[in-house]
Amino acid sequence: MSTIVWIKNVLLEEGLNTSSNSSVETRTSLYHLKIENGRIARKQPAEESIEGGFLTFDAQGLLALPSFKEMHNHLDKTYLSLDWKACQPVSNLIERLNLEAIELSELAETAEQRATSMIRLLQSKGATHIRTHVNIDPYIGLKNLEGIRLALEAHSHQLSYDIVAFPQHGLINSNVPGMMKEAMRSGATMVGGLDPAGIDRNIEKSLDKMMEIASEFDADIDIHLHDSGQVGYYTTEKLIELTKEAKWQNRVAISHAFNLGEVPIAQQEKIAKELSENGMAIMSTVPITKTMPPVGLLEQSGVNVHFGCDGFYDSWSPYGTGDLLEKVARYSEIYGKRDERGLANSLKFITGGIIPLSDTGDVQWPKVGDAADFVFVEASCSAEAVARTPERKAVMFQGKLVYGEL
Amino acid sequence: MSNHWITNVRLEKGFKKDDNRITGTETEIVHLEIENEIIKSISKEMPNDSAVKYDAQNHLLLPSLREMHIHIDKTYYSGPWKACTPITNGIFTRLDEEKELLPKLLPTAQERAENMIEMLIRNGHTHIRTHCNVDPVIGLKNLEATMRAIENYKDSITYDIVAFPQHGLLRSDSVELVREAMKNGATLVGGVDPATVDRHIERSLSTVFEIAAEHNKGIDLHLHDPGTLGSFTFSRLADYTKEASMQGRVTISHGMALADLEGPAFTSMLNELQESQIDVTTTIPINRPTIPVVEIDRAGIEVSLGHDSITDHWSPFGTGNTIQKLGVLAERFKYIDEFSLNQILKYATGGITPLNQDGEQVWPRIGDTASMILVNASCTAEAIARRADIKAVFFKGQEIKNKLPQ
Repeated sequence: MSTIVWIKNVLLEEGLNTSSNSSVETRTSLYHLKIENGRIARKQPAEESIEGGFLTFDAQGLLALPSFKEMHNHLDKTYLSLDWKACQPVSNLIERLNLEAIELSELAETAEQRATSMIRLLQSKGATHIRTHVNIDPYIGLKNLEGIRLALEAHSHQLSYDIVAFPQHGLINSNVPGMMKEAMRSGATMVGGLDPAGIDRNIEKSLDKMMEIASEFDADIDIHLHDSGQVGYYTTEKLIELTKEAKWQNRVAISHAFNLGEVPIAQQEKIAKELSENGMAIMSTVPITKTMPPVGLLEQSGVNVHFGCDGFYDSWSPYGTGDLLEKVARYSEIYGKRDERGLANSLKFITGGIIPLSDTGDVQWPKVGDAADFVFVEASCSAEAVARTPERKAVMFQGKLVYGEL
Repeated sequence: MSNHWITNVRLEKGFKKDDNRITGTETEIVHLEIENEIIKSISKEMPNDSAVKYDAQNHLLLPSLREMHIHIDKTYYSGPWKACTPITNGIFTRLDEEKELLPKLLPTAQERAENMIEMLIRNGHTHIRTHCNVDPVIGLKNLEATMRAIENYKDSITYDIVAFPQHGLLRSDSVELVREAMKNGATLVGGVDPATVDRHIERSLSTVFEIAAEHNKGIDLHLHDPGTLGSFTFSRLADYTKEASMQGRVTISHGMALADLEGPAFTSMLNELQESQIDVTTTIPINRPTIPVVEIDRAGIEVSLGHDSITDHWSPFGTGNTIQKLGVLAERFKYIDEFSLNQILKYATGGITPLNQDGEQVWPRIGDTASMILVNASCTAEAIARRADIKAVFFKGQEIKNKLPQ
């Protein structure tokens, strides 16, 4: 039996006006949308009346944006729902990992509760997809995975998700490869990895092992790569080689990838092309303390770039908001995207590539057949939403209201 | 004047320590008696007199905030959305735009300035230093609008108005206009880049000091010029300050060059500024190097924060939320521990923190002006890291936020 819902009076972008001084303005109109089985079945101007007898939401002129994808989080690490705690300063990554190891078992008991709070926070900011990494390590084993899986499953009607088995304390580390395989049998959907040079201290073996597990479970990959400069670059090159050998095209993502912005431009251009050819994606948290990967170059080269909030309110970082729209505003501010199209285009990094209008003003979204995944905000256009980060009035996943009210 | 109470206020009273490491903040609930705009007494016992009581509901009390660099006279805030136009000729693109834009904005200038003031009050500010364009295009009309707006809020804020020759004191021949502005309500003499805008460092600086002397007012200059050019300008500014005996009355806004200096050149510049008691305001920019706030502060130079723009033709970004800006400051410089997060509040409060560096309670004291805010956090560090909401704002003992239209 099909479920039908109408959403009335939705503000949607429908074109661009260019004025005499070559500045661009976005044109919008009100529409009614018919949602059938979670997808848009009909899009009609608001002047036309709608059929009665169905559940109807009134958006009252709120602007609809494509809903957001949180592409890098650590649901297992957050302190959210527990008491406030700042972080302890450390002098290097090893010290940080040692501190985490002590804390992991204390936190394990509340994994589901903490993850649930984070999921709700992310939803309230507009995310309907969450990619979380979950520690698989000698201290915690698979204990966190269980809690995170339960928390996500409980929300599976409200969002989609990926769970990356993440060897935070090294993949080439005692029995971690065995645990990683166990994790893949116990609810993890992707294989992770971490700094083959800096942590595993054996680039080739670390990458081989990660690829081997991915092949065994026919799973996609998302590796944390903080290793900087040329060693990070070499690691990226090796990962591209392995991706080609294993025919894992369109299935590999690199998180952070600071190195891409730290090498000479010619190298950046070369690797951007190779990443694009192999359908490899880059995940960035839009840091303001480190080099960003060269997002503009990557995008022009056809590499998919996605933003995430990373873990926050945890032993690594006391600050964060869970607001992807704010990440886009930050990105736009850093890169001087201040005009109408620059702002509007930046939205793609949090929507899985979807933006309402093309640069020529053609409507790309929403169209009949698209998933009914929306964020509703009080704004006149997506450029305004990016610059001004208005509060989220409502969030919809497959035609179901998952946050706020209409 | 009769007294009143603010009951159930959370005050910070010391740091929690574990092996000498600061791990948290101790607080206590007290009741404040307010009389004649000041804190008359602080009591742990609930008062049983008949005076009016405002229940703070255990929210944390902090000093009210100071917005030290803003332009309330030219903003799109509260008007229709408008992105920036693409830049074609650096800063001069924006200056040329003002020739058309300022007269167009004038009819709504007062209204928008008032909306901006209300927004800043909602965000916890009780002091606003605004720059106000004084230039051949708009003459003193923006100043008049700004004065009218501020006059309407004189029971809620203290203020400074900087007569700001945006188009260049010399470059746009605005010397007499600035003089007129000083006679008509401006409280500080402004200026912008004596080198790259006025093209004559000495004549520009000497004119600013001449006007300041004529009106016995302080100085606040926009100095964006980078590298050695900026630092040479600071150095001459310090000389002029000493010669004119204006120590403690001169501010450098932005001071971008402070982010470019290193080693002995940086140290010697800090010494010069400290000797002339010049203070610095910054917006904590993320699209260029941020000046090293804490090092500058440690050298005995006062640093304060400003938002500069809340959406105008220069920038579409800006929130007016100084708690958020403190979070960006923390993130930018990786202040992640309780103590650092606690102490950086000073940059938003004119130097006041509830606890001093030794963890002793130094604010509020009996006799302090009762200008303060209530936030939903357990301590200052949490308020900054997790961007606490502001629940109430008191100016000289009177609650002002919740009386505004929300």
